[in-house]
Amino acid sequence: MNSLIPLFVIIPLGSAFLMVILERFLKNICKVITPFALLSLLILTLHFILRVEDTQIYKVGGFEPVNGIPIAIYMVIDGLSKFVLLIISLVGFFSILYSLSYTNQYTSENKFYVLFSLLIAGMNGVVISGDIFNIYVFLEIAAIASYALVAFGVEKQQLEATFKYQILGGIASMIILMTIGLIYWNTGTLNIADIYTQISNQNSLFLKFVSLLFVAGFGLKAAIFPFHSWLPDAHSSAPSPISAMLSGVLIKAIGIYVVFRLFFNMFPLSHEIAMTITVLGTISMIVGVLLAIGQWDLKRLLAYHSISQMGYVIIGVGIGMLVIVTGGDKKIAALSIAGGLFHMINHSVFKGLLFLNAGAIEYRTGTRNLQRLGGLAKFMPITSSTSFIASMSISGIPPFNGFFSKVLIIVAAVRAGYNWIAFFAVFVSVITLASFTKVQKYAFHNNDGNKWLKKNIKEVPFSMSFSMIIMALLCLGLSFFIVPEVRDIFLNPAVQILVDTMEYSTKIVGM
Amino acid sequence: MINLHYLIGLPIIIGIVLFIIPEMLKLLKGIVTVIITIITLYFSITTFQLDNELARLVCFTFPSLTKFMDFQIDYLSKLIVLFIGAFGFLFSLYSLSYHNRKNDLTNFYSYFLITLGAAFGAVLADNLIIFVTFWGVLGLTLYKLIKGNDEESSSAAKKTLIIIGASDSLLIMGIGIVWMLTGTFNISEISLSTTGALPNIAFLFLLIGALTKAGAVPFHTWVPDYVKSAPASSSAFLPASLDKLLGIYLLARIIMNMFRLTEWATLVLMIIGGITIIAAVMMALIQHNYKKLLGYHAVSQVGYMVTGLALGTPLGIAAGLFHMVNNALYKSGLFLTAGSVEKQTGENEIDRLGGLSKAMPVTFIAALVFAFSISGIPPFNGFSSKWMIYQGIIDFGKGSGIANNLWVIWLVMAVFGSALTLASFIKLIAGVYLGRQNPKLKKVKEVNFLMWFPQLIIAIICVGFGIFAANLVVPFFFERITGKFDYIGIWKSQSVTILILVSIVIGYLIYLWGNMKKHRVSDSFIGGEKIQEETEFSALEFYKTIRTYKLLSFFYDKAEKKRFDLYNIFKAIVLWFNSLFSKAHNGFLPRYIFWYIAGMLILMIVLVF
Repeated sequence: MNSLIPLFVIIPLGSAFLMVILERFLKNICKVITPFALLSLLILTLHFILRVEDTQIYKVGGFEPVNGIPIAIYMVIDGLSKFVLLIISLVGFFSILYSLSYTNQYTSENKFYVLFSLLIAGMNGVVISGDIFNIYVFLEIAAIASYALVAFGVEKQQLEATFKYQILGGIASMIILMTIGLIYWNTGTLNIADIYTQISNQNSLFLKFVSLLFVAGFGLKAAIFPFHSWLPDAHSSAPSPISAMLSGVLIKAIGIYVVFRLFFNMFPLSHEIAMTITVLGTISMIVGVLLAIGQWDLKRLLAYHSISQMGYVIIGVGIGMLVIVTGGDKKIAALSIAGGLFHMINHSVFKGLLFLNAGAIEYRTGTRNLQRLGGLAKFMPITSSTSFIASMSISGIPPFNGFFSKVLIIVAAVRAGYNWIAFFAVFVSVITLASFTKVQKYAFHNNDGNKWLKKNIKEVPFSMSFSMIIMALLCLGLSFFIVPEVRDIFLNPAVQILVDTMEYSTKIVGM
Repeated sequence: MINLHYLIGLPIIIGIVLFIIPEMLKLLKGIVTVIITIITLYFSITTFQLDNELARLVCFTFPSLTKFMDFQIDYLSKLIVLFIGAFGFLFSLYSLSYHNRKNDLTNFYSYFLITLGAAFGAVLADNLIIFVTFWGVLGLTLYKLIKGNDEESSSAAKKTLIIIGASDSLLIMGIGIVWMLTGTFNISEISLSTTGALPNIAFLFLLIGALTKAGAVPFHTWVPDYVKSAPASSSAFLPASLDKLLGIYLLARIIMNMFRLTEWATLVLMIIGGITIIAAVMMALIQHNYKKLLGYHAVSQVGYMVTGLALGTPLGIAAGLFHMVNNALYKSGLFLTAGSVEKQTGENEIDRLGGLSKAMPVTFIAALVFAFSISGIPPFNGFSSKWMIYQGIIDFGKGSGIANNLWVIWLVMAVFGSALTLASFIKLIAGVYLGRQNPKLKKVKEVNFLMWFPQLIIAIICVGFGIFAANLVVPFFFERITGKFDYIGIWKSQSVTILILVSIVIGYLIYLWGNMKKHRVSDSFIGGEKIQEETEFSALEFYKTIRTYKLLSFFYDKAEKKRFDLYNIFKAIVLWFNSLFSKAHNGFLPRYIFWYIAGMLILMIVLVF
């Protein structure tokens, strides 16, 4: 029992409720509470990563297992959850710092912070839940907060986007809930570790059916092809720090993370599912980038790239899964999974930063249409250089972080014998580079930018530029994850959870 | 091993520090850069005295990284390191004066130093992952060493980075395949034969990486665009010298260390070499921009190096490497002259220049030396290496492979390419430096010391390498890399030089004694009219006939519309797919829901039933 675990939900959830009350008396209180809440979450996560080893659980209500069957609600922190929590609190903290200036343009600023805290609470809850029903509950908290945040600008385009997002998200949630019901009906338990012990020997049609329903349900949350259609609208219409959270964190925490957790630690590994995930990942990667390159709306372009980059994460982990299933070398599987997870944290940082850059551009110039921009490098040097770093990271140019994770993924895919997937990864990487050089050219170069002189365009305020600079430094700093010593601390515990699929349930059921 | 720390680490660290210093103190940044390049030059010279070995750097912060930190010190890497060091110093001097204007390229010196360190790192690294990291950084700095404040230059930068990035990505894939086949990332441990599908693919991908960096057809299209709009110092530094050194270095490693070539692989390389020579020089003939013309020549010369290396014989490889060094010298020198002319006149178009020989004598003489060198006129260095390549091809013809039997074709292509090079440089020299002075350029003066000194040094090296080629330069630098070889023809560079000097002296004496100085000078009489500008001698007019020649004009038309440009071909394909997919995303919710359900059902049908 580690009683610090519930804090991951209590802090953001508590501060959300506190803020609703306090904002009536103190106007600016939200701008104080939320950053501190996020900062404490970040410190807490780092505490868990650096100081606490091994899997930790917290049984809500303190009910001990009866006959080895868990009856309490379990909150679990293991290597993978720590890793995802790090992503959430890192990007969350810098997004909220950025928002301090950015939200000036909205009338009901305080609600923004309340919803933001709820979003964080939902995502943290999904990541630390040890049973699938609570995953669903927290997922809905996060999803509903995100529906509201997408519509935060309450303009025509945003309302339309959030409407589509809600309908499709609702269908997916319904499928997820139904599947959870089916599993409960079959096994009589909701605890992930317990479900594993119940169904680990089965290989029935029922399991395949349930797995596919989960793929469809969480696939929508993760924006995997062909369930991706809501993403470009929703992510491009939200306020920019929220776009950064949605693209950078939400699709990972309530989509990809759950898919990995369930298919590695809950269902027995199966070749069909591994293949399905890898193939869908490859298709997402290709389709996403081919859709992205022609966009002229900066945020829409970025949103399509999220689909494509999620594809990288999925093929990295998917190939690892395939290698394990086919009885290949576990080291290759670990390398491939490490590549995928490494790309996941990299993506959250550089994509978050790219959305913050897009927000900065929109904040000053009032447009995000690339054809109307140009020559901003001189007027917004910080935005320009940080955006350059993020663009090079996402395109996989050394010495930035994206390069190293892509190298891991490509090299591991070749080593595992999936040459075609590696080739597609290379191909997509090139088109990614092409579309980000396009962004660089049309946003920051291309003309001398004299038209901005008249409009008196200058760099964005301190809180915005500060968080962009730190995120850009993170793009460089995360490269060190490739170094074995650093990898052992941050990445390998997460990889280990996925490679040793059985460990999770044996550990938790035993506690 | 202290050398390696200084060579790789010092420029990169100082380069990063220079980012912090504001642009106002540009001169300070420049002086720091010159000092750093002097230090690296010193260490690159001392590297030449080190033993040949696989040096392992101990990485104190992260001990587990130490096993990746192998650095290969052999005669090949020493040669390249020496020249990178020398070029770094000369170009930093040149940039000090060239980049002193306001509102110029920002952070030039930072990227300059990072490029220098990364180039050293790429050449010395033995581990392919470390190698490709440094290699990729070079693509990035190439992108940042061009000003992007107008449409043309930002397009060129974009195109350059995309092409270089694409080749780097393929290189990574190739490295992955090599790793799968051999289980090692160390160049020194790899030995593969190009038989079977996977080794061939790996070979091809590594080859694309090398050739794109060097700029060989069909991966060359970034070079002319880049050099046209980049500052001359950037063009001289990367596409003209460092990228050539590195690209050919990788090619040499592939051919000499990593792969054993089959006859088909040799044939492919020979074809690439031959086509590169001819196609690029044909394009160069019709250019009328100083820098762009040089850009096409920068491509054309790569053909000689590829041809030389592809021969695979010691003579051929030595010739190819010698030509690489020579080309880096005269080509970067030519870019420096182009930069000098541009700085003094503000002009790049050949037809708006003219008669600069008197105003800029040092630049003129340097340009003349470089032009003679590149055209392969004895006794300059370009001739020496080309002569070795010709000999190598003839020698190669004695072999029995497919490529060997076609040796006459390669020889003809090489010689013909050389002739065309001379033709296009006559146009350049005549158009820019000779002829009637353009009245607008009356006030042009010679560039200052910092700018003409590097040109002069490079010109002297060009002459020196030519004169002492057979006795000193080739044995000292190149025979040690490839092993001893015999020439099949005779080449005594010093005696030939003396003969040429004697003939020049005799010619001059005849000129003096033959009363030729007292010729009559008068304006040409055109019915009493004064001479109009159009009736002037124009170097360009003559070459327009080539452009309009029927068969050639077909290709020229296509080439000018960029129909042969792989970049444009792929762009069109990708954008077609984009429009196809975009049609499916029309924003109708029912359709999206339909996809969702359909996708789920298809998954069910495929997997469950």
